[in-house]
Amino acid sequence: MTSHLNPELWSLIRVALHAGFFFTAAYLLRSMFDARRDTELKHLPRPKWSVRIPIVLLTLVFIGILIYQATWQLIGASRPEFIAFMQLHDRRELNPAHRIQRGRILDHRGEVLAYSEEILGQVYRLYPDGPAFTHVVGYSHPWFGASGMESVANVRLNGGAPDGLGDWGTLGRQLVTQDKRPRGQDLTLTLDAELQRMAFGLLGEQRGAVVVLRPADGAIRTLVSTPSYDPNRVTASLFQDSGPSAALLNRATQGLYPPGSTFKILLAALALEQGFSGTLECPADGFTTSSRYRKIRDHEFYAARKRGSTWPGHGRLDLATAFARSSNVFFAQLGVRYGHHAFDVMAERMQFNRRMILHETPYGSWSMRTGEIPRLDASDRYGLAQMSIGQGAALVTPAHMALIAGAVANRGLAVRPRLIETDEPTPLAYFMSTSVAERLSAMLRQVVTSGTGRGIDTPRLAIAGKTGTAENPHGAAHSWFVGFAPVDRPQLAVAVLVEHGGYGSTTAAPIAQDLLLRAVDLGLIE
Amino acid sequence: MTRANGPIDIADTWDLRAPERVLLAWCIVCIALGFLMLWGSTHVGGEVIDTFNLLPLGLYALSLLMLHLLLVTARFRGDQLILVAVAFLSGFGMLAQYRMGSFDTAGTISLNLVLFPVGLVLMGTTAVILMRGRYQAILQGHWIWFWAALSLGLLAVLLMFGERFRGGVYAAGLVTPSEILKVTIVLFVAGFVSRNTKSLSSWGKGLPIPPWRALLPLAGFWLVLAGLLVVQRDLGLFIILSIALLTMLFVGTGRLGYLLFGGIGAVAMAGVVLTVLPHGERRVTAWLEPFRDPTGGSWQILQGLSGMFSGGLWGEGFGRGNPEYTPIAQSDFIYSVIGEELGFAGCAIVILFFLILFGRSLLVASRAPEHDGRVVGVGLVTILATQTFLNIGGVTKFVPLTGLPLPFISHGGSSLITGFIGIGILLAVSDGQPAAPPRNRIAKQAKGVRVQGKGVRRNRRPSAD
Repeated sequence: MTSHLNPELWSLIRVALHAGFFFTAAYLLRSMFDARRDTELKHLPRPKWSVRIPIVLLTLVFIGILIYQATWQLIGASRPEFIAFMQLHDRRELNPAHRIQRGRILDHRGEVLAYSEEILGQVYRLYPDGPAFTHVVGYSHPWFGASGMESVANVRLNGGAPDGLGDWGTLGRQLVTQDKRPRGQDLTLTLDAELQRMAFGLLGEQRGAVVVLRPADGAIRTLVSTPSYDPNRVTASLFQDSGPSAALLNRATQGLYPPGSTFKILLAALALEQGFSGTLECPADGFTTSSRYRKIRDHEFYAARKRGSTWPGHGRLDLATAFARSSNVFFAQLGVRYGHHAFDVMAERMQFNRRMILHETPYGSWSMRTGEIPRLDASDRYGLAQMSIGQGAALVTPAHMALIAGAVANRGLAVRPRLIETDEPTPLAYFMSTSVAERLSAMLRQVVTSGTGRGIDTPRLAIAGKTGTAENPHGAAHSWFVGFAPVDRPQLAVAVLVEHGGYGSTTAAPIAQDLLLRAVDLGLIE
Repeated sequence: MTRANGPIDIADTWDLRAPERVLLAWCIVCIALGFLMLWGSTHVGGEVIDTFNLLPLGLYALSLLMLHLLLVTARFRGDQLILVAVAFLSGFGMLAQYRMGSFDTAGTISLNLVLFPVGLVLMGTTAVILMRGRYQAILQGHWIWFWAALSLGLLAVLLMFGERFRGGVYAAGLVTPSEILKVTIVLFVAGFVSRNTKSLSSWGKGLPIPPWRALLPLAGFWLVLAGLLVVQRDLGLFIILSIALLTMLFVGTGRLGYLLFGGIGAVAMAGVVLTVLPHGERRVTAWLEPFRDPTGGSWQILQGLSGMFSGGLWGEGFGRGNPEYTPIAQSDFIYSVIGEELGFAGCAIVILFFLILFGRSLLVASRAPEHDGRVVGVGLVTILATQTFLNIGGVTKFVPLTGLPLPFISHGGSSLITGFIGIGILLAVSDGQPAAPPRNRIAKQAKGVRVQGKGVRRNRRPSAD
């Protein structure tokens, strides 16, 4: 028996032995059935009771098990979550689940972001663009499981649950032909691949996030978070990194940052809502609620001090001018003036302190965090003043800022952001009244034409927006830009955050401008 | 008496057991084909096959031959199909265990290797020792209390000196002596029920109230048993034993009420146990919602199912799958290995053999001339059938996983030996009585039966001599 066995010959013999085994077992079963008469227990008396009922019951129970077993073993492909489990966690090369053509993931123009390819009998999941789309598309890996849309939409990508008569016909065919290769369905995202790639390129080595969405229907065109990683090469080291530069963290939807001056959009909305039309005195010396606390001053004060000169102060400012110049003194006063209650009502109305579901299936959900505004103690007026200028306890996610900008652009109505093209657009809430939104967009436009954002004003596109420079204890300030374009019929809202990027006007705003201009070229803005 | 009362010499028995001989030969052929498949696969895989590998198959054939000769020389008249079904199942189990590497010999004969052959012969020996109605002796007198004490004592000792592993208590070397309870408790309950048939079947008139006074000793025993088993986290065994208890009470007394009340009690107790033991609750969650935590609580079962999925209808044959990815494949999940390598068809064959075994055993129990024989037979079948159901049902996600081995196929010494002894007792019951018993004998008191039994034993040759 030690001689060499020819594999080709063996495969023939193996099939013969396999069939022989079944035939012999079947023959044995038949012979046992036939031998009932010969082996009758003649020496025993007539039965005291009938065994028919228990035998029938036992048989039915075990047939039930076999039928149930068949729903896994033979037509398990009809359970997409089961297929998903096997694709992710089964290491058997023979498992047919590995040969299932999982659906592709596409952008809204049909460009392929993820597809499956069979190489030598093993199916691999490939991501042509790699890191730029990872935070949305995710990865699907036999050992590390799946993330992002790969995970949430797993069931659809694997073929979906059978719900129509036609699907059951397919199942029957599978059963007969032993073909276990259902094709999965493609998944079309609302992303624009070009814009996404560009945003990823613009952020480059810097840590940050970009969110671009359509205010009217919530379609997310760009959702970038850097640093990123290559979904084609997921490694264990990725999961060990949990520091500030962790690549796994989706900064756009989960990262909480001090909003800086972009938060003044909310304060301006609050003031307009409350009917503010007067002016406030904004001295160069700044504003504080108590002499025990450091004074809140304007940017110009520090700039002048740096130059060695003194700055006379803004004097009396109206809301629009203060907004365009981004006066801290003005908005700190404004927040204190309206008080904690009005502030909390506004935060509640704009849906702070929540987790917003963007796409949900029974097997997972894709969600974003909204900003965090803690309820301050009624006596903590200085904390309120700090929050009013986007510092202190207030934190926001870039996605939430994009949603707020979108609400302003959409005449006050916020539409739930969505990532799947086929999901229905659903209105979320009025973040502010229509008239407030209209006046606010005029003010945002003024920021770009004559305020802190004038560096990105261009005759090609009427951009409206607000820059932000968020101080933080860990180094250089975060750079923000939040806005939309074009101002008279807004089609895209944008939020850009660059960690430690410095001034919003010099880092984040140009990125937003580049993206919006590119969107015009791409036909996303007409 | 004529032939109706059984063969009188060896030549008659040789003729009588001819079907068994042929069928056992086919069993060997079938299992040999399986071994060939396996050897070929490992050989192509690069391993050298030496003559030592032939040993399991040789031992299997030899044990069947010995079993047959033993029964013929003892002039055994009992059932032949039960025997063939068990022989096939254990051969199949041996094949599966061999494939899983349980007999990793490395030059020496491992204990596992001889377990199946020894078990088969042990089954024949038990049958021969207890045939001609002798099994009744161990159901009477002080014997039943011996069985009861043995069961509880064993559990208590196990609890004191056992080792904890995977949530259960085992004696040294992962042997589970509590398996023997499947036989001793059946003997105890059968003895108890047939001794107190009258009082146990006298339910309250009008209101369906069971006779508490008569049930008291049994209920007390069961409470202690439940306590010991729950502490050892051996819920599976407790479920099996309880189902057997209720079935035996029902069959022994003809009172359907025992099953009804038992069912209600079981539902109530399941609720209590699930809230008390987090262990059980996790298994139920893993059963109902396997995809909620696929890499945690449902990992085992989903890996088993995905192995079966890769097997499909026919499988790829022994040695061609990857059962090493299935957790605890050798013991609890051996059925999923069969599903992976022999496909749905292989599973159906195994289930058919089990059904023949159960059906035929039930037939034997129903025709047993003695009341206690009937109850013992039903008890043993119930134990086996419930265990099979819970194992296969658990692996296929039909019912929650209970962690029970599959009879005659799973890895495990004590479980196998207990199974073989149980079938041995069933076979002894199927041998019947030495002489045609009078019809009204069951109505007589237990004392009378014992006296008569003794007389019969002394006088082995029936009147045909």
